[in-house]
Amino acid sequence: MADPYEVLGVGREATQEEIRKAYRRLAKTTHPDLHPGDKGAEARFKDIAAAYDILGDEKKRARFDSGEIDASGAERQPPGREFYRQHAEAGPGFKYERRWQASGPDSGDDLFAQMFGRRGASVRARGSDLAYTMSVGFTEAANGAKKRVTMADGKTLDLTIPAGLQDGQTLRLRGQGEPGFEGGEPGDALVEVHVEPHPLFRRDGNNIRSILPVTPGEALAGAKVRVATVSGPVELAVPKGSNTGRILRLRGKGVPSPQGKGDHLVELQVVLPEHADEELVRSLTAWEAKHPYDPRKRQGAQA
Amino acid sequence: MTGHMIAEKELIEAVGNLEADALRRWIDLGWVLPHADGDQARFDASDVARVRLICELHYELRVEEDSLPVVLSLLDQLYAARCRLRALLSAVEAQPEDVRASIAARVKAQG
Repeated sequence: MADPYEVLGVGREATQEEIRKAYRRLAKTTHPDLHPGDKGAEARFKDIAAAYDILGDEKKRARFDSGEIDASGAERQPPGREFYRQHAEAGPGFKYERRWQASGPDSGDDLFAQMFGRRGASVRARGSDLAYTMSVGFTEAANGAKKRVTMADGKTLDLTIPAGLQDGQTLRLRGQGEPGFEGGEPGDALVEVHVEPHPLFRRDGNNIRSILPVTPGEALAGAKVRVATVSGPVELAVPKGSNTGRILRLRGKGVPSPQGKGDHLVELQVVLPEHADEELVRSLTAWEAKHPYDPRKRQGAQA
Repeated sequence: MTGHMIAEKELIEAVGNLEADALRRWIDLGWVLPHADGDQARFDASDVARVRLICELHYELRVEEDSLPVVLSLLDQLYAARCRLRALLSAVEAQPEDVRASIAARVKAQG
């Protein structure tokens, strides 16, 4: 048993008032019921209370000073004293807990309500979401498609790819994630979908762009040409005198969207024959000599 | 809470340094919630511990009666929060190792 004067941190000549003050100060910082998380508080408080039990009582203090009783003199705290915190932490439904809770659905436990839904006491919880990735073809994404996918657990799911799906878009399959707890809803499956590139087509918002090679003759004289679109081949009239870079619009042949269907924009590219023979070269040079033109004049002076 | 219950007289003897008037006032104020047995109040072990705590707060630590409701309310909220936290911790303990590890990492990251 420690010396009670040391426990309270006062000198042997301290007045009763000084002893009382020292005890009060220490008790406030160690009372176990005020420090429920501090395991050592109970032992420290008991020492402080025992020291005060002797020194706080002038008669007992005199007997201790004269050596009649030792520091363990009389323990004021019953040895098996139960502190309030043992009861208060006994578990849910403690009657003094309810005193400060609940009148109305939003009172009390906002933190736990956030986690478990309205009622903090319930362990009901939604299952986790599961994330997947998959890829679809360019035209499947443009037109929409049904895909069957196999999940991690071997379960197969029928997935509807909506027409006009964007690369990297995430589809949510409600209820296909992890099962919920205690009757909570299951989570969702989140499928991130990547759109494979296409050799001819490129997405530009809801429009599709492609390049259409034409011969110089088709470009000069005009022609009807078959063009591939995401909804199948169509006939395109190339107007007479169309140059490389001219863009022709196939209205409504793009990707559907809430704002209506996009267009397919065809960019013409005049392509020379792979083997230009003498005849072509000669006739063209002769023609250019008679009708000179500068295709670079718009670019100004070339470096 | 069930278990052994005592009458007002026994409670005052057990706690010491307590007057019946003060105890009755605390009951009227709702700080102590004894069980009613006819017109007799009966106190269980948690009531005894609570009365002892109120006595110590008031007579020894000199918390004024006007301030006591604030202190008691904060204590009750603290204990309620600790109970909930304990329930949450035992739920976390029941999770698989990787889930516990990711919760721990997240808690740590939040400081």
